[in-house]
Amino acid sequence: MANEGSSSPISEKIYFLVWLELLLLTGATVSIAGMNLGRWGICIALLIAGIKSGLVLSYFMHLKYEKQLRLFKWMVPGVLVLLILFIGLTFFDVVLR
Amino acid sequence: MIEHKEKIGSKTGMWLFILSEILLFGGLFILYSVYRFKHPLSFHLAAGELNRPLGTLNTIFLITSSLTMAVSISSFKNGKGKSSLVFLAATLLLGFTFLAIKYFEWVEKIYHEIYPNSPRLLERDKGEVLFYGLYYSMTGLHALHVLVGLVVLLIMGVLMVKGKVNEVDFIPLENSGLYWHLVDIIWIFLFPLFYLIR
Amino acid sequence: MAELSKQYKSGINFYESKGGFGGILGWIFSTDHKRIGLLYLISILFFFIIGVSLGFLMRLELMAPGSTIMKPQTYNAIFTLHGVIMIFLFVIPGIPSIFGNFFMPIQIGARDVAFPKINLLSWWIYMAGASLAIISLFTGGGPIDTGWTFYVPYSLRTTVNVPLAVVSVFILGFSSILTGINFVTTIHWLRAPGMSWFRLPLFVWSIYATAWIQILVTPVIGITLLLTLLERLVGVGIFDPAKGGDPILYQHLFWIYSHPAVYIMILPAMGVISEIIPVFARKAIFGYKAIVFSSLAIASVGSLVWGHHMFVSGQSDLVSLIFSFLTFFVAVPSAVKVFNWVATLYKGSIELKPPLLFALTFIFLFSIGGLTGLFQGALATDVHLHDTYWVVGHFHYVIFGGTGFALFGGLHYWFPKMFGKMFKRRIPYLSWALLFIGFNILYFPMFILGWEGMPRRYYDYLAQFHTLQLISTIGSWVLITGLILMFINLLFSLFRGEMVGSNPWGGATLEWQIPSPPPKENFEEIPIVKKGPYEYD
Repeated sequence: MANEGSSSPISEKIYFLVWLELLLLTGATVSIAGMNLGRWGICIALLIAGIKSGLVLSYFMHLKYEKQLRLFKWMVPGVLVLLILFIGLTFFDVVLR
Repeated sequence: MIEHKEKIGSKTGMWLFILSEILLFGGLFILYSVYRFKHPLSFHLAAGELNRPLGTLNTIFLITSSLTMAVSISSFKNGKGKSSLVFLAATLLLGFTFLAIKYFEWVEKIYHEIYPNSPRLLERDKGEVLFYGLYYSMTGLHALHVLVGLVVLLIMGVLMVKGKVNEVDFIPLENSGLYWHLVDIIWIFLFPLFYLIR
Repeated sequence: MAELSKQYKSGINFYESKGGFGGILGWIFSTDHKRIGLLYLISILFFFIIGVSLGFLMRLELMAPGSTIMKPQTYNAIFTLHGVIMIFLFVIPGIPSIFGNFFMPIQIGARDVAFPKINLLSWWIYMAGASLAIISLFTGGGPIDTGWTFYVPYSLRTTVNVPLAVVSVFILGFSSILTGINFVTTIHWLRAPGMSWFRLPLFVWSIYATAWIQILVTPVIGITLLLTLLERLVGVGIFDPAKGGDPILYQHLFWIYSHPAVYIMILPAMGVISEIIPVFARKAIFGYKAIVFSSLAIASVGSLVWGHHMFVSGQSDLVSLIFSFLTFFVAVPSAVKVFNWVATLYKGSIELKPPLLFALTFIFLFSIGGLTGLFQGALATDVHLHDTYWVVGHFHYVIFGGTGFALFGGLHYWFPKMFGKMFKRRIPYLSWALLFIGFNILYFPMFILGWEGMPRRYYDYLAQFHTLQLISTIGSWVLITGLILMFINLLFSLFRGEMVGSNPWGGATLEWQIPSPPPKENFEEIPIVKKGPYEYD
């Protein structure tokens, strides 16, 4: 009964691997900031941040292995979509005034 | 049967709370995105004044604290109580260091008279005033969440030592871990938005 | 188990069961969802009465042009407080906290909610926020005069007690979020065996959809108010135009919550109507799934229409067009519900008992309110109608005529279950008549006043508006008489009403299968559900 829901005891190796990936991505985002990419700069920065968050959510927070809380595999991206819609609609105002 | 429902119910509640926290910071992200769009140059100038190495270091500390948190919980589930406490302590240490660095950054700015409503700040371009308004609000709100997280983790540690959190009832520890990872995720977004503007 | 049987056989209900404490402590420290529901009932009705009194005073002032009983500043404070109290202390918590708490667990076949202690905490937080709101009237510069919307930059500059008022609303938001978390978790995990999603009563579905909105958008007003507070306290400069801030951004953030908030107000009300109509038509609801999906559609699409409050704010024309389109779109699912309710009545075996009377009135008044909303959703007409009395008429028809009357209907419907007594059967018809007539005399003239150009929130007005304002005030007196009569009847029946069995109306949902009032644990044994909620013999 101890492991119902989030079965497969996650080997700590995976945690270390994820941590390394996070550090790598941090390094990447810092070095990319040194280049002059204009408007693409923020898109790439947000993309990398999104990937890092995805790693934390899937592995550290176990969403990838959740059997019973599958709802949140949808709701977390769903909430992000909602935020993007909020920002998007607000931008339809601010940009075109 | 009921016990099982309590566990899954408890986790559900925690995740729902996490969703509400995402929206809480989301409101600030909406403001940030609009003001940055309107004042790209000012944001770039003001961001240049932030300490990028310190910000990067803080990011590394927080990411590592997420690692130690995850390992602490898995150790605990595998029955390695002492190991779990060591990693929990590491998480606390890293989190505390994060706050200390943040505090230092803030104090430095305030010493240079850059803080909300300071005459020095108000002399500057509107975009820079907005940048610092967002900087203090967002990193401040985040730091508050880190502080609450540290208190919660400390309490978890005490409960673990006392045996009130154990192999049968470890849901509070798992939920605290979820909260801590959330705090990490928020910073993962704050870092590039304030420190890495080009 | 044996303990439960004993409770059942001895007829001990949740009022009598002994918990940790006795007396009033046994109530304010109770984690029983039924007691918490009643705590909310008493406190929410208390604040409702305060809100009504403020409205009564407003109408007295507006009875004639110029000063009638108060000065302009006082009037501004009163209409602000009327809004804050009615919206944040009455309508938003209203049906979910009272009937959602009391009946949702029973309707799904559970013994309580998922987090009973947090449920109690929600009530305590509600009381804390409400108390602070009242205290703000008497401290630090006086009662706020910004309107319930706290628009910047005025709310940043005015010297009245904006900070405390804003803090109180922030705190109330926590109560709402915690209730939402509790209800979603409960509905997901505590349904009885056989209670599949599509066997849930529609009231439960409405509470479910509402709970999601509460969780997701309340934080946005939380952060908005927090920033307003920081602005006033330390000058953060995010909304202040003098520092480069954009007041329209404040409006965006404010309405991102406050528009979905009106769905928090109306969805549970619609849930109540969906419960009442099948019972008193003795016919299964028409289009169960359509009503379920329309609730979810309203919740989701309704999160994307907030800009229709801002058509004349200075936002871009394109975004106004987009919001207008989405606003018309979101009207469709509401219309679906109205059609389905009416279709349920068709060829039903109708008993016009008080709950049904209130439900039918809901449909009538809400429809009028909804139709007048279409005029506001269309850009061209909104330019003419924005910030006039038309809007005041509109939202009172949908919120008061809608949620208010649904609450009264629910109160009469579930009264026998909550209290084990029946109300005096004929008085509700009289109180209903006074309410209905008074309501329309009070609010219908507002459409005409608004169309003819009278602005809202105005203390004084041109002589040409006098007649309608006077008529409106007289309507308020009739309405209040109806309210008093209704509450007196219910209060009286609480003590002297005839005792009643478990199912006086012949309902098929689970709450009618247990004693009135229910025992503390709701069910002797958790039921195994084998049929839908609207199958009548």
